[in-house]
Amino acid sequence: MTPYPHAREDRLSAKTGRGELIVSDLNKSFTINGQPRRILDNINLTVRPGEFVSIVGASGCGKSTLLRLIVGLDTEYSGELRLDGERIATTSLDRGIVFQDHRLFPWMTLEQNIELALLNTDTPRARRAQIVADHIALVNLKGFEKAYPHQLSGGMAQRAAIARALVTEPRLLLLDEPLGALDALTRVHVQSELQRIWMAQRSTMVMVTHDVEEALYLGDRVIVMSPNPGRIRRIVEVDLPHPRDRRSPLLHRLKDEILAELTSGADADGDAGNLVHLPSREAR
Amino acid sequence: MASRAADFPVAGGAGAGFRFRLPPVGAVVPLVALLMAWQIACLTGLFPPQVLVPPSGVARALVDMTQSGELQRHVGDSLFRLTVGFAIGAVAGMAFGAVIALSRLAEAALSPLFMTLWQVPVIAFVPMMVMFLGIDEPFKLAVVAIAAFFPMALATFDGIRGVPRNWFEVAKVYRLRLPQLIRRILLPATVPAVLTGLRVSLTRAWVVLVAAELLAADSGIGQMMEMGRQLFQIDVVLAGVMVSGLIGFLLDRGARWVESRATRWRAA
Ligand SMILES: Nc1ncnc2c1ncn2[C@@H]1O[C@H](COP(=O)(O)OP(=O)(O)OP(=O)(O)O)[C@@H](O)[C@H]1O
Ligand SMILES: [Mg+2]
Repeated sequence: MTPYPHAREDRLSAKTGRGELIVSDLNKSFTINGQPRRILDNINLTVRPGEFVSIVGASGCGKSTLLRLIVGLDTEYSGELRLDGERIATTSLDRGIVFQDHRLFPWMTLEQNIELALLNTDTPRARRAQIVADHIALVNLKGFEKAYPHQLSGGMAQRAAIARALVTEPRLLLLDEPLGALDALTRVHVQSELQRIWMAQRSTMVMVTHDVEEALYLGDRVIVMSPNPGRIRRIVEVDLPHPRDRRSPLLHRLKDEILAELTSGADADGDAGNLVHLPSREAR
Repeated sequence: MASRAADFPVAGGAGAGFRFRLPPVGAVVPLVALLMAWQIACLTGLFPPQVLVPPSGVARALVDMTQSGELQRHVGDSLFRLTVGFAIGAVAGMAFGAVIALSRLAEAALSPLFMTLWQVPVIAFVPMMVMFLGIDEPFKLAVVAIAAFFPMALATFDGIRGVPRNWFEVAKVYRLRLPQLIRRILLPATVPAVLTGLRVSLTRAWVVLVAAELLAADSGIGQMMEMGRQLFQIDVVLAGVMVSGLIGFLLDRGARWVESRATRWRAA
């Protein structure tokens, strides 16, 4: 683990050329009712440094499982997961994650929640307060430093969670349906903010979403997965510079293509039916 | 966005978790009505004074006992027992609850016994304990400790087991070390349940203590009532009822206050 220079000016140069994720021949099974069940089947994927990759796919096709493997919360798999050549064996401050539920600690203020992420970094103590303040500003939550999570709206809490994940300056940020619980309007707003943040930070990001439009708006590439077992079905390049215009005809054409892909070839069990409309709540 | 900060309610500001400054008028009305009905029932001779003393008589007894210092002595003795016995029982209960929550082995071995003993009313232990401990201080402390132990152990167990796994995952993502995990996540996450347990076991311990003093004691609010009964001093008995009720009420309110102060971060 190499420490980052935390000076803001250095961020862009320090970040470039880092955060390359290589997934090769990844297989993952869970034991359900005593029977091993293949959840992820032969996943191969290379995410370039600084790239934004979106993942869409039917509910239950293993998207969260994939992210949990990459972040290191689950380490039982076969195949290889490497970040900048280093094999992933457990969690690391180089890899951040934003969960679908914000998972802020209710007894900590917004500020304390974000500061917690810095606890075991080598950031000098004297600089932490400033870094926390910078990240609160980054997600437009200035003025809410002392607010407790229950005093924040859903969108604000989710932005706070994004700030917490970014504050350690991870080389790779994973986002598991980070905006799934938000209403359409807030969602569009936070999407734009996310794009702005990503453009400023240029760290590698992998985002799971149920919203094809969102996937296309943010992603350099969109990975389309199919279920039972989870496989990569198709990878769509979105050859459009950022910041993007939502009304771009290319995005609309790709959206129709992906939706057709997701619904047509889907298994007869109709999993794809709830693909776009029902963001799944993660089981507690 | 920044302009919105102005009207954001700062935690701990006016009103937050501070609800018991004055009893609302509505709560006083039934109390006054009861006292009046009681006084009238006595004045009209509905009950003979040997059976029911009017509130004014009880008030006189309270004044007399306060002036002689008798009341303070009894209340002091009872509160001392409550404090010491409760401290012992609550600490032991917390430790026990934590152990069975954190160790599956301890849970499997101890929880059936615990659950069985918990079903026994604490008062049912009294005859046996009098035999072993006599009726002096150790007996009363033990009764209070046992009364506090069970609800405290249960609350601690539930509190620790109730910490969502999700939070441990966050701790793992940010590489918290075990002491950090305990201090910053596990303890604060368990505090609400433990404080509720403290309140429940405190009021329970008080009730059980007064009952134990009624049965066997040489001082304390319960013994004061028992002596009053034996000497046909109904005013003293009723004074004891009122004082023990008031103390129980204040203990509950005090514990609630501490609870709301310590968990101000929770949604109102
Ligand atoms: N801990 C576990 N034990 C057993 N099976 C699991 C476990 N976690 C996930 N699964 C199974 O793995 C499959 C994929 O789950 P996963 O949560 O990755 O899906 P997903 O693609 O994220 O779905 P959604 O879009 O609904 O969030 C599901 O069939 C689920 O039943
Ligand atoms: Mg999921």
